[in-house]
Amino acid sequence: MLNRNFKINRVLAVALLVAIIVILTGCTGIFYVPGASYGYYIWEEDDSIFVEWSADRKETEFEGIISTDGEITSHTLKEWEQDEDVIKAGENIVSFSSTLDAEDYSDGFSFTLKDYSYLEFDLKMNDGYDLSRINLGGFLESPEEGTFRIEKDYFEQIETKPWYQRRPFSEFFYKLFSNKYFTFLYLFILGIIIIEILRVTVISRKKKKALWITLSYVLLVAVEVLIYFILKFLVS
Amino acid sequence: MKLFLNKLGRIIVSDDIFDNKVYLRRLYKYFLSGLLVRLVFLPFFFQRDLLSTYQRAAETISTGNIGLDNLQFLTNMIHTSYLLVTKFIFPAVNDIFPVLLEKDTWISWLTFNNSYNVFTMLALFKALYLIFDIACVFLILRLAFDNEPENKLRVFKLWIFNPVLIYVVYIFARHDIIGVFITMVALLLAKKDRKYWSILVLAFAIALRFFPIMILPLFVFYLARTKKDYIIFSSMGVSAVLSVEFLSYFGFGKSVIIPLLNTQHFNYILSSNLELIIHDRIFIFVAVYVIIILSYFHVRKAGFEVLLNYSAIVYLAYVSLCYFHPQYFLWAIPFLVIIFARNRLIMYYHWIQFAMFLVILIYWGDLVTKFVLAPIDHKYFVYITGIIPLIERFYDSAKFVNIFRSIFTGVSLWMIYLIYKDSKNLMGD
Repeated sequence: MLNRNFKINRVLAVALLVAIIVILTGCTGIFYVPGASYGYYIWEEDDSIFVEWSADRKETEFEGIISTDGEITSHTLKEWEQDEDVIKAGENIVSFSSTLDAEDYSDGFSFTLKDYSYLEFDLKMNDGYDLSRINLGGFLESPEEGTFRIEKDYFEQIETKPWYQRRPFSEFFYKLFSNKYFTFLYLFILGIIIIEILRVTVISRKKKKALWITLSYVLLVAVEVLIYFILKFLVS
Repeated sequence: MKLFLNKLGRIIVSDDIFDNKVYLRRLYKYFLSGLLVRLVFLPFFFQRDLLSTYQRAAETISTGNIGLDNLQFLTNMIHTSYLLVTKFIFPAVNDIFPVLLEKDTWISWLTFNNSYNVFTMLALFKALYLIFDIACVFLILRLAFDNEPENKLRVFKLWIFNPVLIYVVYIFARHDIIGVFITMVALLLAKKDRKYWSILVLAFAIALRFFPIMILPLFVFYLARTKKDYIIFSSMGVSAVLSVEFLSYFGFGKSVIIPLLNTQHFNYILSSNLELIIHDRIFIFVAVYVIIILSYFHVRKAGFEVLLNYSAIVYLAYVSLCYFHPQYFLWAIPFLVIIFARNRLIMYYHWIQFAMFLVILIYWGDLVTKFVLAPIDHKYFVYITGIIPLIERFYDSAKFVNIFRSIFTGVSLWMIYLIYKDSKNLMGD
């Protein structure tokens, strides 16, 4: 009975962990739900650049211009409504205009390029910029300006970015490190409580209690120092 | 010194636990584990109401206008005093003060979440609730199971690890725990037959937060021995509300009761109703509440534990039948944990309740779901796809939530029946 409970708990714990990772990291590659997610999603896959947009079933206009110093060799439309949505593709520029609504969850297109060093985007929603809703790559980076450029190997670069430099982890670690006094006092208090729990459970059964407690506190200080250097590395 | 500490220990944990080292160690272990869980959540999560509460306190300090929040006058005074003390002790509070004084609540929320010391501020803000929570956990040891240390420990454990309490106080970060504490003091006084003090403290709790008014009739029935007692206790019970009303009306020129009756919160009580014909309508909770009160009237001499049971029934009936906010559920917890210690079956239903409650949270949208995580990275959690659009994509979100809401109500009503049966057993004993 105990063994079965343990197995169930283990399965639940693993399922929860997977769910958390999926939610926080957006799975692998890009992750959005047409008709629920809201904004632009741009990524690179098999040498094609994908530009897709989705709205939460409310009428929303998407329009934009993508230009490059190279040549756009082909483009493919996705879920395009020919009557309502417009796309114009030139040699080095693509402009589009599309409206999503309660029935139309998402639209988009992909294109291939050659001989280019950058891509320039000017993407609007409802005639305005909403930069936080422009998501670049699998970890949903956002641009800083309305018209923004990305270099040729931009997506490869953000792919190689370690997890701790991606949101929300990067911001979380930054806040922990920039507020050192609080963070280390907080961790120290947590450590003291854990040592106390160990003292009344495990250590109380040992012979050299004082030694174990001293060792625990030495370990706590060592862990604090280690965390300091880990955080310093993570936010550097 | 040792004698003093011994006395203090006895006062805090009660004699029957203090005198038994095994029990004392178990209590200490539970306490530490519970504290650890609370501290883990303390600096990282909050719901926007916490900021609004402290914004009102900051404005009170800044303007010196104590009648700023006359609807929650005492609650605002407690937060104002606490903020004033922390302002002198912790420089971080001064850093954040301009953010608290920002009039645009959306801008202040974003700036607060974005500030480098957001975790410090949340820990400080919620530390006040931690103090009241810890006070409650030691108070509850004295509310039931005299000379039954094993059951007392069970109650302690059930409180310290209660998921609703941990969610409401440390993740949702609402201040109801202060009112719950004052109500528990009133209960303890009632148990010790300090009639007048009990009613007076309950009146204070009512002035602080209106919820304890629901159990005022139970208190009056339990404590009154003569007809005169009924009149005196009822008058005393509402006296604090009337005092706040007079103070507010004559001091600040604003009424408390009239605006309160017109707030949507009061309409929650009337939210479930049965339409008959033309204008004829029955407010279900009001009718059920009257049944509960009348039912208690006939068993009012049955003892203190029956009073606790009926109080649990009142609050369970409220969350079963009325629209409620997550923090309202907290009011049932002190009574439920005592019942759980006696009847484990009801505790299992409480776990089902909590599971349903987590789904019902979707009702209140982003504010109580993804925005709660905003201190970690507000930009990420504000723009991440919310749970409502996700459900809405596949199914009507209101229908989805209401299925779980209905299960919650069903389970809660069944719990009421079991608690009623438990009361019958207590009376049989």
